[in-house]
Amino acid sequence: MSARNTILDKLRRNRVPREDDYELPPVKILGDLDKSIERFEKSLQLMGGEVLPQRDGQTIEDVVRARFPNTTSICSAVPEVEGTLKITDLKTHEQSNEVDVMVVRSPFGIAEMGSIFLSEVELFDHLADVHLAQHLVVLLSREELTANMHTAYRERSEFKTAFYGVLMSGPSATADIQGVLIRGAQGVRTLSLIWTS
Amino acid sequence: MSNKPVKHAQAAAEFLEDDPHRLFHDERLWDMRQKRDQQMHGMPEWQELRDRASRIKEHTLANLPTYLEQFEENARRNGIHVHWARDGAEHNRIVAEIMGKHDAKSLIKSKSMITDECEMREYLEPRGITVTETDLGERIQQLDHQLPSHVVVPAVQKLTGDVAKIFAKYYGTDPNIKDPHELAEAQREAARPVLLSGDTGMTGGNFIVAETGGFVVCTNEGNADLSSNLPNVHIATLGIERLVPRVEDLGVFVRLLSRSALGSPITQYTTHFRGPRKGGEMHVILVDNGRSDRLAMPQFWSSLKCIRCGACMNTCPVYRRSGGQSYGSVYSGPIGAIIDPTFNAKKFSTLPFASTMNGSCSNVCPVEINIHEQIYDWRRVLAEKHDIPFVKREIMKMAGRLLAQPRLYRVSIEGTEVALKTMPRFVLYNYLNPWGKHRELPHPVKETFNSWYRKNRLKTSTKKEHESA
Ligand code: SF4
Repeated sequence: MSARNTILDKLRRNRVPREDDYELPPVKILGDLDKSIERFEKSLQLMGGEVLPQRDGQTIEDVVRARFPNTTSICSAVPEVEGTLKITDLKTHEQSNEVDVMVVRSPFGIAEMGSIFLSEVELFDHLADVHLAQHLVVLLSREELTANMHTAYRERSEFKTAFYGVLMSGPSATADIQGVLIRGAQGVRTLSLIWTS
Repeated sequence: MSNKPVKHAQAAAEFLEDDPHRLFHDERLWDMRQKRDQQMHGMPEWQELRDRASRIKEHTLANLPTYLEQFEENARRNGIHVHWARDGAEHNRIVAEIMGKHDAKSLIKSKSMITDECEMREYLEPRGITVTETDLGERIQQLDHQLPSHVVVPAVQKLTGDVAKIFAKYYGTDPNIKDPHELAEAQREAARPVLLSGDTGMTGGNFIVAETGGFVVCTNEGNADLSSNLPNVHIATLGIERLVPRVEDLGVFVRLLSRSALGSPITQYTTHFRGPRKGGEMHVILVDNGRSDRLAMPQFWSSLKCIRCGACMNTCPVYRRSGGQSYGSVYSGPIGAIIDPTFNAKKFSTLPFASTMNGSCSNVCPVEINIHEQIYDWRRVLAEKHDIPFVKREIMKMAGRLLAQPRLYRVSIEGTEVALKTMPRFVLYNYLNPWGKHRELPHPVKETFNSWYRKNRLKTSTKKEHESA
């Protein structure tokens, strides 16, 4: 018998818990339903992310340049930012590994966690490249916030359509050496957010 | 694998001899436990979440074959190659076969306990495949030829100086580095070229979703998203018990996992894989390796609800003081004590004795596994297999080692933390009488502890101890 059938057969015959005794609880939305910008920003900052203010007269490109004044490498996946190259221009991972700042747009954020979502759609299939960059700048519309994880999974169809969908909550981090929290482990070292309307 | 019983008590005693390690370990894990409590206190719905998590898992386990088939069908439709492995050996063969087809030689992987359980590195390396752990803690353990000490923080038993020495040997860095930032940077520098040149990527999976044919990987370092997306081939090793029925069930589990584990609201990366990326190839291996047998055990099947958050380890006074290495297995702490004997009842026969039966593990478990009751049941099962003198001997060893340490001893019940100078009587009582009289009491642990606590709190807990707890 194949491994598949051996395993399924064993589970069918021998398992102790039986269908009728354990009903599936209906889905329920729990927790705080505040989806304000304030809550999102507070959560994001707790996770080590930053919010970049946009002053009157400043373009988004200006905001990015002001945050990274010395960089010569800004890779953009959004029309709002010219940068020094486009994400679709990246041909090899070695090339992506040289990218200093990556600018992307997230389709939605989760206020409870300060998380932003990215999938193959926003990344133009450059999935690894966004993580190879040193710094990440995320554009997010103020209108696209959902309150918490329950509402996110209920409202956002992306979880059922994307083949790759990552919720990033701040930059990469580790506390594996003597419990010291280090922001910027193997993925991006910083994650900054710019609000758009 | 040797069949000789793990000498937990002896190994624990060795760990206890070194003050800096012992104290840091205890403090660090207790800190994680306290951060978890802070998260819990900020969420009035915490108990309801735990209750739902438990019920969703119970339902899934009761319908496991159906949901596995549903997952398989949906995953296949998404273009994922689905493999099944009865045990670790079969899993390892499948990995070697997939890599063989691509003439691949370098496997870059993120942390997954299940591949350690399968002893995959030991199988692949003699076959000319280089396996590189890319999670910092797991990499440290790999370089040091040790099993992970903890399911969430694999190298938690090491101090900065230990890591500096290991990195000096393998990465050529300064052996006297004192700053963890410098070491983490050294790991980043060392990992990049390996990540860029790796030809096969591997991850585990925290949750599998039957409804979508996808799976979720929760990490902090960004290494899983690099390991899975850089090479053309991504293999995910998934324990069959990791299923949930619906996408919306993830809301419950993601909200609980990192809060229970590290006391952070969520992991930095929560990654949903549902199919191969453009031009790539994705394989999932559904691994049984004893899980179907465990599901057939009346007292122990519910341990399969475990989401590997490590909260039971962080809260366990014995684990905190003995270190993960003393358990001699991939899974240590209370969860290890109840699942390790299902892998090898002889080898891990001593582990259910590494407990004070204080019940704190069950109280923090986000999926409400009755861990301490299962520990107790294992003692009975093992007593039937072995002779009573064996059992008595193990209890005496544990009691002797721990009681010989007249140091701060922490016990926590239902969120009430007390720092204790001496071990409460019930601990002693439980060591010496794991069953017998114990069984006459309906809730022996709680009642005994509470009455003890009421009588002694003013006498034994000073302000300073409260602070350090
Ligand atoms: S048994 Fe419970 S507390 Fe322990 S690791 Fe598993 S889920 Fe976490």
